Amino acid sequence: MKNRLKVLRAERDWTQAQLADALDVSRQTINAIETGKFDPSLPLAFRAARLFALRIEEIFHDPALDKDRRSLAT
Amino acid sequence: MNQLKPRENGYQSRIRTNVIRLFRWNGAWGAATALMAFGPKFLWNKALVFTLLAVGLDVAVGVGMILANKNYLAELDELQRKVQLNSMGITLGVGLIAGVPLSVMDAYHVIPFHADIAYLLILTSLTFAVSNLYGTWRYR
Repeated sequence: MKNRLKVLRAERDWTQAQLADALDVSRQTINAIETGKFDPSLPLAFRAARLFALRIEEIFHDPALDKDRRSLAT
Repeated sequence: MNQLKPRENGYQSRIRTNVIRLFRWNGAWGAATALMAFGPKFLWNKALVFTLLAVGLDVAVGVGMILANKNYLAELDELQRKVQLNSMGITLGVGLIAGVPLSVMDAYHVIPFHADIAYLLILTSLTFAVSNLYGTWRYR
């Protein structure tokens, strides 16, 4: 799963530690999500969406889903 | 730029508290186990009542240690819990895979030494430590 967490965080000038504190997780977890090594659970994704005041799909998206949509459109 | 306020009792603070609590329980269990193992010989000359009391104390402190570990795991975030779960799974597997053959080899005198439970404890402790370090490194 791909995400815009790093970009959104940079736009707000937040550190990984600050974002981790706001989402009540470790800094390591934020780093693992940003680098695509770990996919967050739905509750954590909701917390991130609430924090950034965005919809979940505006932060996280599945490249496989985009591929499926493209193949359905053609 | 909306700045984030640090939480009063944030994740890191809660984990630090739980780790300290877990270390204290581990230390207490180690001390209770030492008392149970060496007390009968060096402290109370194998008096049954004191030995039974030492065993009871060891079990009670052991239960406290398990509960402290359970609380520690419950407070971890999802990634840390995944790392712990992987480590525990690997440790359980290695313990079984190594423990059963070791016991069989001891029973049939294939190995020239007694298969002491301490060997298994050392192996599982090392396995858990290595797999935990690997998990932490993998998601660093």
